[in-house]
This record gives sequence, structure tokens and C-alpha cells, in this order.
Amino acid sequence: MELAGQNPDIISARELGVVACTRCSRVWKRGTNTCGRCGHAIVSRDEKSLQRVWALWLVGLLCYVPANLYPMLQTRTLLSVQEDTIVGGAIELMHHGAVGIALIILIASVVIPIGKFLAIAFLALSVSRRSTASNHQRQILYEVVEYIGRWSMIDIFVVAIMSSLVQLNTLAAVNPGRASLFFALSVIFTMLSAQAFDSRMIWDVQSGDEGARV
Amino acid sequence: MSDTPQTVQIVPARASFFSRFSIVWVIPLLALAIALGVAWQSYNDRGPVIEIVFENGAGIAERETDLRYRDISVGVVEDVEFTDDLSAVVVSVRLDKTVAPYVDATSTFWVVRPELTTRGISGLDTVLSGVYIEGSWDNEIGAEQTRFKGLSDTPLFRSDQDGLQIALRTTPGGSLTDNSPILFRGIEVGRVGKAAISREGNFAIAEAVIFEEHTNLITPRTRFWDASGFTFSVGASGAEIDFSSFATLVSGGITFDTFVSGGGRVQDGSVFEVYADKAAARNSIFNASEVETIELRVVFDDNISGLAVDAPVELSGLKIGKVESVAGIIDPDEFGDSRVRLNAVLSIQPARLGLPDEVTPEAALAFLSTRVGEGLRARLASASLLTGGLKIELVQVDNAPAAVLLIDEDIVPLLPTTDSEVSDASATFEGVFGRINNLPIEELLNSAIEFLDSAEAFISDEDLRETPQDVRALLGDVRQIVTSEDVRNIPIALNATITRFETLMAQLEEQELANRLAAAVDAAAEAAKGVSASVEGVPALVTQIEAVAAKAESLPVEELAMQLTELVKSADGILATEAARQLPADLGAALQEINATLAELRAGGAVTNINATLDSTRKAADAVATSTQDLPALVDRMRAVLDQANATIAGYNKGEVLSREAQSALRDISKAADAMASLARMLERNPSALIRGR
Repeated sequence: MELAGQNPDIISARELGVVACTRCSRVWKRGTNTCGRCGHAIVSRDEKSLQRVWALWLVGLLCYVPANLYPMLQTRTLLSVQEDTIVGGAIELMHHGAVGIALIILIASVVIPIGKFLAIAFLALSVSRRSTASNHQRQILYEVVEYIGRWSMIDIFVVAIMSSLVQLNTLAAVNPGRASLFFALSVIFTMLSAQAFDSRMIWDVQSGDEGARV
Repeated sequence: MSDTPQTVQIVPARASFFSRFSIVWVIPLLALAIALGVAWQSYNDRGPVIEIVFENGAGIAERETDLRYRDISVGVVEDVEFTDDLSAVVVSVRLDKTVAPYVDATSTFWVVRPELTTRGISGLDTVLSGVYIEGSWDNEIGAEQTRFKGLSDTPLFRSDQDGLQIALRTTPGGSLTDNSPILFRGIEVGRVGKAAISREGNFAIAEAVIFEEHTNLITPRTRFWDASGFTFSVGASGAEIDFSSFATLVSGGITFDTFVSGGGRVQDGSVFEVYADKAAARNSIFNASEVETIELRVVFDDNISGLAVDAPVELSGLKIGKVESVAGIIDPDEFGDSRVRLNAVLSIQPARLGLPDEVTPEAALAFLSTRVGEGLRARLASASLLTGGLKIELVQVDNAPAAVLLIDEDIVPLLPTTDSEVSDASATFEGVFGRINNLPIEELLNSAIEFLDSAEAFISDEDLRETPQDVRALLGDVRQIVTSEDVRNIPIALNATITRFETLMAQLEEQELANRLAAAVDAAAEAAKGVSASVEGVPALVTQIEAVAAKAESLPVEELAMQLTELVKSADGILATEAARQLPADLGAALQEINATLAELRAGGAVTNINATLDSTRKAADAVATSTQDLPALVDRMRAVLDQANATIAGYNKGEVLSREAQSALRDISKAADAMASLARMLERNPSALIRGR
């Protein structure tokens, strides 16, 4: 199979005048409103998909701001209480020599979420404007974003496990900071945002010249 | 590019605003609303920021150090920075909105740190949690203020505390212990704060607080005194050390008492004086407040040592002043000669005189002048028997020579004197001490020391130490004696003696003395028979018999036995000497030696010899016994002879002399026979007695 995007012969289902049910994959003639097999509503293109993407993307971004400003983890020992933000904690780890762990935290909590925001924004923009990236590249990007989204929750897992394990009463305790809630919300909303994206639209722009909106 | 016609198509078709926009936009709007709401609320809840200036910021950390009121956090430090001139630290504290209105001009702030003082440990919790700022303000909303000056120490008064606030001032010349408790009957009822020296430097004053529940103890007549330290006094009841408590001993303390009742309550801000001790405090109640002293001059003819500056001046035993200065004076004009006199200047406290009306120096001088006119005189008196110190007494002297107290502006009034009454007790004491001094204590001690030295020398003398060695040597000698050949030879000699005795006995046996005796008696019997035949031969026969009997009697058997007994006794005595008995340690050895000797003796056949000797002895004794067995027969025979003789004599009935002689001869024979019989019995009963002598 040739590399996608370099093959001009790719024809979308829409161009063939058919539409597939997104739930059971049954192909119907274009214009069918309800899947005759599973009863799911059938649309060839979800017109409000982009709005949902942008709305949820915005909420995710809003949540990402306090997630970085507030402390993620509150470490209380006998003598002191230490609160660390995500980036601050990673920098501190780096000062202590644990560069590897600091990098993992930075990648999982900073690089990937920001990358997701950028990727979703790029995809959403690229369906309405022409892009230099080929359809295939964007499809892969979308799949990567969808796949990687759940792994952003690893930070929340670490906080949850730490705070449930390290509870030594007066000696030491680890409690989740306020940022953990916002971080979880941010991840959830970006995942929802990525899901809301109707990936079929990727193909329309490419073939837009050939009368995409027929 | 090709979108334009489509847009034209679409816009009119989707006129509805809500159908054009997805419902999902509600979510970001909601999030935004929540975020704004939270932001506004947190901004709204923020209290004002106040600034507190501290000398230093030890332990204060941004966003960690609390501001506490009654130990509850009501704010947190937001910022710590220096003042512009770097002379102090400005701590910005974000107050809680609820208490912010109460933080007004009356508020005070200080830093609570762990403190270790003589009265205990405080702020221990701050060791772990770090310091905090404590604030104190009243419960009334006052004028707003945002900049405060922090205190360096925990303040004595806290505006949220009740209590009586007073000030304590030292008496002239007195001292004060600050930062100490005020005790009443040993209970802490208040505290003295930091003391300050007055501007003139003539007294120290400290603020003090009496806790609310004890304020009724304080009246205007309450007197305070210093309870710190301890007093040590030697009096009639012996030495006495007195202190009120260990806490006051270490950190000082002030106590008080209200000696007289009445007086009502005390207002905040009253000033009390702190007296040196309880007596001074008590006295102060009855004394009017002291005024300026008056000076008097006294000249004593006798120049008596012992009057010192500050010596008391007493009137009827009450101290009314003291000696200001003492100096000699030579004034031929005034006294008529050039003798040196004692000139003392007295300062009299008019308040102590107990004047009825207003207390002024003038009134006091007038009073004294009147009294001098009535005979008041000054004299020297003994103040202390032990130290020989003197005081000046003002006494009433009857029939005193007239004198006046000259009162003038320029001169010091001269108080007339009378004879000194320096107690002889002083001299007596001196005498006693002199006598004590003269006691030959040193000699006694020297003697004792010498005695002890001699005793020590004696005890440590080599000879004395060697005494046990001498004793040991003595024992050695004794042992040597016991083991000496001589002693060992004793049994041998004994053996020889016994052998000889045996020989003797054997000879005795050989001699067959008894047989001969029997034969002699037989012969006598035959002679008696002959007598019965011829009466004439009787006296000669009797004489012969008598001689024989005497011969038999004179045999030295008993003497021999006696000598033998003594010999054995001496041997016994040697063995049982005191020396041997008193030295048991070596006696064992000696006995062992003896034992060894005996063993040797046994080995050497001595025992055998002794046995043989004893056997011989027994044989001899047996022989004697057998011979003595014959004795009764002999006696019988003799009796028969005598009977015959008797009969013959009775038959012939003539010659009474012969008859008497024959009778006495026969009695002698009978005695001899008895002696033989007793010897025989003795030997028979105890043959070994011949050897042992008993």
C-alpha cells in the first residue's frame, strides 16, 4: 500500500455517495438518517464537531493554567510542609540529581499536554484551511493524540498512589494538591476534545477542490 | 476560494442562534464563570495587610509564619523585608478579614520563641513548628492602623488580659529584681516586668501586674519587699538560713503583705515601694514619710574606739538617726584644754520622732531643744557586745547639769552629753575570750599530736611488727624441743626405767620373799609348837618373829612404787607443759612430731618393749598377787600360832610380862600382815597403778 496523502486516487465515502454508521459500520446510501441495523443516527459529517472540539479544548486549556500554578503535591513531614508545583517539583528533582525522573515528569506533565493542545488545535484548524500536511499525516497525528491522551493521567495516578501510601500520621504525609484536580480535568477535557473531532473531515479539505460540500 | 457561494447559501438557512452553536459551549462558559467566581471570592475574603516592624526577623518565614491571637492563627506573613535604612525588619502580615477591624492602635505584637528561663520553659511548641507572631488587642474596634512596632519580648500587660497594673519603685538606696514573680504566701499572684532606671538615676522602677483574681489583695497600705536571695543570721536560737523558695533564690521575687486593714482598692498605675526586707516594710507603715534630716553634733570627752559612721542613734531604743561622721577635735577655746575629743555629727530623721503635728526639721529641733532642757543627753553605749561597736543613745538624765541646745542657722547644734555607758560586758567578754585564749589548747593539741605520733611510731615500730615472728620462732623452738633427741629419748629412758623395774620385780619374785616369809612363819609356827612344848622358849621366839616381821615391814616396796610414780608424773608433766598447750597451731605439728616419734618408737620396738615391760609388770604383780594369796593362809597360820600362843599363855597363866610382850609382838606382826594385805589388794585391784602411780 502506498503512503497515504501521496495517492491522489483516494476517494472518500462521501464522494461515493454512501455513509457509514459510526457505531456498527454498516454502509448506507447517503441521505439515510438512521441506521437500519443499530438505530444510530447517521450523519455524513458532524457539522458541530469543530465547535465541540474548540469548546472542550478551551476548558482543558483553562484547567491547565491552575494545574501549573497550584501545588500538585503537598509533602508534610514532622518539621515542615512542602508544596510543589509540577514544574517546580521537576526542577527540584533535577537539582537533587534525579534528571531522569525529572525528564519523565516534564514529558508526561508538560510536553505531552501542551503537544496535545497544539495537535488538536492544528487538526481543528487544518480542516477549515488548507494545510501543508498531507491527509495521511494528519490522520496519524489524530490517532496518536487519541491514543496518548489517556497516558497523561499517569501524573494523577502517581499522586493518588503516593497520597494513599504515604500516610504516617504525624511523621510524614503526602496529600494531593489543588493542581491535581485541575490537571485531571484538563486531561479529561482534552481527551473529550480529541474525541469530539470528526476525523472524516480531514479528508474533505484535501478533496475540497473536487466539490467536497456537495 | 469557492466557499463564498456556499456561505451565502447557508447563513439564511441557519438563522437560529442556538441551532448554529453547539450546546457544548456551555461548558467553557461555566468553567469561566466558576473561575471568575472563585477569584472574586478569594479576593473578597482577603483581609488587609498590616506591617509590623521588628528589630530582627529571626525565624520568621514568608507564607509560613502565623499571626496568632489567643493561639489561633488569624493571619500569615506575606512578606519580610528591610526598612529603607536597613535598621529593622518589616513583616507584612495578611490578616483574616474577621479580626482585621479589631487590630487597631492598641494592638501589640511580639515573636514567640522557645525560651528557657529560671521560671520555666515557654514556647516549646515553636521548636518544631517554628516561631509565630503573637498579637494582642482588645475587643473594641478602634482607629485603623496598618503599621505597628513589634515588641522584642513578651509584654507583661496584654490588652486582652485583666489584672491590676501597678509600678514598683525602689526605696532610696534599695534595689529591685526585675522579670520576677510577685509571690503571696508562696503563690505567684503577679509579675514584675522589666525595670528601668529613672532619669535622675536615684531609683529604679518596674511595671508589675497583679493577676485579676488576686487584685483584692492589694490596698494602698500594702507593702512590698524583696524576697529574693537568702538571709543568714546567727542568733540566740542558733544559726538560721532563710529563703522563701528555690525559685526566688535563683531568679528573685517580690512578696507583699497588708499589715493593716482598710484602704480600699488600688487604681491602675499606682506606685508602690519595694523595701529591702519584711521588717523594713512593716516599719514603713508606721513611719510618716521621711523628710529632710536634721544634723546634731555631739562631743564626747572620752575617745572611745568603736563608734563608726552609720552607727545608730537611738531614742528610748528606737532608731531615729545615724552617725554621719566621726572625727577628733581639739578646741582649747571651747573645752579649756587641748585634749583630743570625739566629735560626732548625727543626722536625725524627724519622721521617726513621732511628732504629733506636722513633721518638719524645725519642729524636730524645737522638740529636741525642749527635751534637752528637761535633761535629755547623749551618751555612748554598746551596740553590740560581740563586735564592741558603739551607738549613741539619747537618754533622760535626772538632775543633769543645765544645758541648752543651741539652735542657729549657721552652726550645727551641739547636743550635751553625759557619762558613757559602755557596757562592761564587753570587757567581760573580752576577759572570757582572753581566758579561752589562754587555755593551753595548743599545748593540749600538741600533746595529743605528740601522743598520736608516739602511738603511731610505736605501732609502726619494727619490733612490734616482729612480735608475731617471735611467737612463731618460739613455736619453732618448742617444736624443736619436742622433736629434740632428749624428749624423744624420754620414752627410751622410761623404757629403761621400766625394764629396770621389771628386773627389780623379777628379783623380788626370785627372792621368793613370800615363800621365805611363809617358811619363816612356818618356822615360827614350828617354833610356836616348840613354845607350846617349852614355855621358856617363847619370848625368844617372839623376838625372832618380831624381827622377821620388822624386816618384812621395812622392805621398801612402797617407796619404790612412789618413786616410779613421780618419775612417770614428771614425764607426764613435760608432755603437758603450758607452752605445748597454749600454742595450738604448732601443737598440731608438735603432736605430729610426737606421733611421728611414737611411730618411730613403735617402729623401733619401744612399744613392744613397753608391752613387754607391762607384761613383766603384770607378771610381777601376778606373782605378788599369788604370793599375797598365800598371805591369808600365812595370816591364818599366824593367827593359829597366836591362838596357840594365846592358849599356851592362858594355859600357863604365869609371866604376865611375857604375855604382854608377846601380845605386842603379835600386834606388830598383825600390822605387818595388814600392810602386806593392803599392798596386795592395791596391786590386785589395779596392777597398772604400779606404773602410772595412781
